[in-house]
Amino acid sequence: MKKLFPILVLFVPGVLFADEVYLKDAGSISGRVVEQDETTVKVDIGGGFISVPAARVERIEKGRTALDEYEERAAKLGPKDVEGWKTLARWASKQGYSAQAREACQKVLAIAPDDADARKALGFVSLDGKWVTLEESYRAKGYVKYDGEWMTPAEAQAAQAADASDRAKRNAEYRANAEQNAAVQEQARAEKRAEQEQYEKEKAEQLNPPVYWGGWGYGASSWPTMGTDGFWSDK
Amino acid sequence: MIKVASAVVLCAFVSASLAAPSALAASPPTVDKIVAKYVAARGGLTKIRSVQSLRQKGHVTAGPNQEGVVMRELKRPAHTRFELKVQGVTAVFVSDGKQGWRVNPFDGDAERKPLSDEVVAEAAEQGDFEGPLVDWKAKGHKVELAGQEDLAGRPAYKLKVTLASGGVRYDYIDVKSMNLVRTETTRQVRGRPVQIQATFGDFKKTDGLLFPHFVEVAAAGRPNTLRIDVESVEVNPELSDARFAMPASAQKPLP
Repeated sequence: MKKLFPILVLFVPGVLFADEVYLKDAGSISGRVVEQDETTVKVDIGGGFISVPAARVERIEKGRTALDEYEERAAKLGPKDVEGWKTLARWASKQGYSAQAREACQKVLAIAPDDADARKALGFVSLDGKWVTLEESYRAKGYVKYDGEWMTPAEAQAAQAADASDRAKRNAEYRANAEQNAAVQEQARAEKRAEQEQYEKEKAEQLNPPVYWGGWGYGASSWPTMGTDGFWSDK
Repeated sequence: MIKVASAVVLCAFVSASLAAPSALAASPPTVDKIVAKYVAARGGLTKIRSVQSLRQKGHVTAGPNQEGVVMRELKRPAHTRFELKVQGVTAVFVSDGKQGWRVNPFDGDAERKPLSDEVVAEAAEQGDFEGPLVDWKAKGHKVELAGQEDLAGRPAYKLKVTLASGGVRYDYIDVKSMNLVRTETTRQVRGRPVQIQATFGDFKKTDGLLFPHFVEVAAAGRPNTLRIDVESVEVNPELSDARFAMPASAQKPLP
């Protein structure tokens, strides 16, 4: 049987409180702890899960979170209440709860498929009187995707040139080293290099676009994206 | 006779009016004058120097379904702490201008990691919350007037700022308001130089100092933008050094 960690629980009748998981060094996770043992704490953050090592958790507190408020407000809305769902979507979005904002916008579209606010919030763009995805609109405007990021063909060409130059430099270094090594070792390196390049290529295709903070904020190199089992990033 | 005299006066007036803009264009203001007016528009040097710490909170949008809550704390001499909260998960980035660390649960391990040199450099620039134009000579920067450009239909002075570190950025000062309305820098992103443009707007005063409450960041040739709406500014909040210190639990070298 797994050993359970102690949790500070404040019971308030009629209100389901979420958990605030504080990490030892800094940072926190707000949601509902769904699994907890001596090694891991898994939190449902409303649209996915995130797991952290139990050793990194300082404390867990019960309290009302934005997720609770969203669910309470959503429960009070009727299925045809377009304005209500739109207001809730804006509110969730302002709290940084994109999954809930998306859910509320989808409720709006189920009732009013052409609602411009909901369409735009979900990333649709009006092109020639038709709603298309953001990616489709970029493609239509002539942008191309390179290294997980949409850009003009000229920028993509410049980026490719910079990458090619970087690769050529690395290859030259490899070749210089190879002259000093036996042919067998070079063969092994070449295979490893090919594997690495393939890995980097595949990784680049999965990369999220970089985040440019431009002097206000820093550190998060790409926008965190939800996977089936929590967040991932390009680290 | 009166008609002739009036015509002469009118001609002289028109000539003077036509000559005036070219005379102005021939003698643009000096960098010192532009910077002095910019400093005054922000609230004045005394006010700016009186700021020992700053806390700003707001909302960030990086695209559809990419929204978060941001909080930035700055403390002299160069301490910065930036928090990004997405879907209830808060990541923290801290720097003293020379080194830095982060706890970023988005990458799954919730453990302190060092910031890269590039990120520390970016943090250090923000740590100078006076901005490079204030006391630029004393800070070892070089500032030159690189012309005047129209930004969204409004003329702006373009200043080339060569930082003491060697980096170059361009600052645009709105001619009418004398506010800093745009900066352009080049950063290494994924190993490649990318020109990044930050546009500032919605200026409001807090404790007599002017702050932009709207920031939009774009990278050259990219359609996507990042938007920050600053919702609150606190001047000189109580910020203990512990907010910026390396966590005691993580003093040991990283594996």
